[in-house]
Amino acid sequence: MIRQAAQIVILAGMPTALMALEVTDRFEVSGFARVVTGYLDHAEQSYEGYEDSVAADQQTLLALQPSYSVSPQLSVTGQLLAHSSDQRKSGVEWAYLAYRPSNAWQFRAGKLRTPFFRYSDGIDVGYTYAWISAPSQVYNNYLFSTFTGGSASYQYTWPQLALSAEGYYGSFDGDIYISGSRVDVDAKVNDLRGVVLNLRRQNTSLRVSYHQGDNITDLPELDALSQGLAQAGFQRSAGSLDSRGNINVLQTALSYESLRYFAEAEWVQTSTEFALTPELTGYYLMAGMYVGEFSVHATYAASAYGNIEAESELRPLLAQPANPIYPLAAGYYQLLERIPDGSLDSYKIGARWDFRLNMALKAELAWLQETSPRSGFFSTSEQGLYDPDYDADEHSAILYQLGWEWIF
Amino acid sequence: MRHFKLIHSLIGILLGLSLGVQAEGLVVVANIKEPVKLSREQVRNLYMGASLGQDLTPLALRPGNHLRTVFNTRVIGLSEARVQSYWAQMRFTGRLKPPPEVQDAEELVQQLLQKPGAVGYLPVGLELPEPLVVVYDLGL
Repeated sequence: MIRQAAQIVILAGMPTALMALEVTDRFEVSGFARVVTGYLDHAEQSYEGYEDSVAADQQTLLALQPSYSVSPQLSVTGQLLAHSSDQRKSGVEWAYLAYRPSNAWQFRAGKLRTPFFRYSDGIDVGYTYAWISAPSQVYNNYLFSTFTGGSASYQYTWPQLALSAEGYYGSFDGDIYISGSRVDVDAKVNDLRGVVLNLRRQNTSLRVSYHQGDNITDLPELDALSQGLAQAGFQRSAGSLDSRGNINVLQTALSYESLRYFAEAEWVQTSTEFALTPELTGYYLMAGMYVGEFSVHATYAASAYGNIEAESELRPLLAQPANPIYPLAAGYYQLLERIPDGSLDSYKIGARWDFRLNMALKAELAWLQETSPRSGFFSTSEQGLYDPDYDADEHSAILYQLGWEWIF
Repeated sequence: MRHFKLIHSLIGILLGLSLGVQAEGLVVVANIKEPVKLSREQVRNLYMGASLGQDLTPLALRPGNHLRTVFNTRVIGLSEARVQSYWAQMRFTGRLKPPPEVQDAEELVQQLLQKPGAVGYLPVGLELPEPLVVVYDLGL
């Protein structure tokens, strides 16, 4: 991995043209890269893949974005991603056909990034935001980064106000991520749709979005328990293990930026009809200051789960170990107990140095504190996402990170 | 006759540039038939990729050009690094591409004259060849 990181650095040291290399009048290639190292000062836990040894193989990546203009209105764009993490797939991250009939309208079709949150469709382009790692309470909750379908965007301006509106529709079939870890499930979401509104007035921007999808993912490991409960006549309990149903995501973000200061706040709420994924609310508040080529920033972020709504029809059986249904009841409640329902606060400070036009160095320190146990963001090195033998202690740790960002 | 006037105007601009028009003020000019006046916010929106409802195409100077720095600072309200950051976000999320860039004010004038609807920023005090008109004056 260190070798991969070194190769990216060497590549960046080559003589480079300005951003977006124009191969011909119609064909151009642009791209971005980042090398990120991190160290978590906790001997037993891991957080976003980082443990108590320096690692550069979680967020380091290189991407190329070729784009071909068929005509002034029509273009084809792809994005090829080589990612260092085994939690992310390398390959074609997106590929789409874009049609821009006027300055106001754009239509795209193909494999697109899902625009859930303010940075989610460009989260790999670390150069575009202040942090090394965007607050996980918001950005590690998004389940699927791409979808197949189409989008339409429209822009309108008033003398003092600019509006950008985007709507999309499509479907998703692939891996899902929870708390930064790939869940070994072939997820399927139909009728994935959303609306994103951006309003900008002078230095202030407001983003509001709503997203919805029909989750038809099947979780085979739950089938035995679900079928057993159904056959025993506990239909409500069996039904609560059905992962299918609506997924809703509501998001809003407010940001301000001047030559000297910047501030940002984002709030998201994700809810599903699946009992094992309770409603999750996350937000962050960030403020920073520019000092020449340098900037410093501080961020507070928090997350909290809603209540897990377990069916109560099986509870009386927990007091009857001799009852033949007891194993089913015990299994049901044990499963629900393993679902993260805690909360995580984090306090982050960071600095950025834009030492070249298209490159930046970053340093960051994040103090992570579970305010109630099992926020879902920590995991043990051995067990991965969920720790079946979790203890009730609230975890806390400091994550140190250094990053190098490059766009070309 | 028209070409003569154009060449004459260009020579005037080049002379002005060679004499070093170093004023911090700038004007935003456009190759349009119907003169319009834009607000600073509209110019900012135009250069941030928004549509003003008219067929206007912004052109920019390359990073490192002093006038671009003045424009970014006083009209866009962002540093060069933040402008780069904004356009990287737009480009790599497939939304917008930054305005085409030209080397200097001389090339910018040539491009403006060739493209109806093109908009660019120039130092204050330059004699503008027809049909370029000032749509926004930042002043000094």
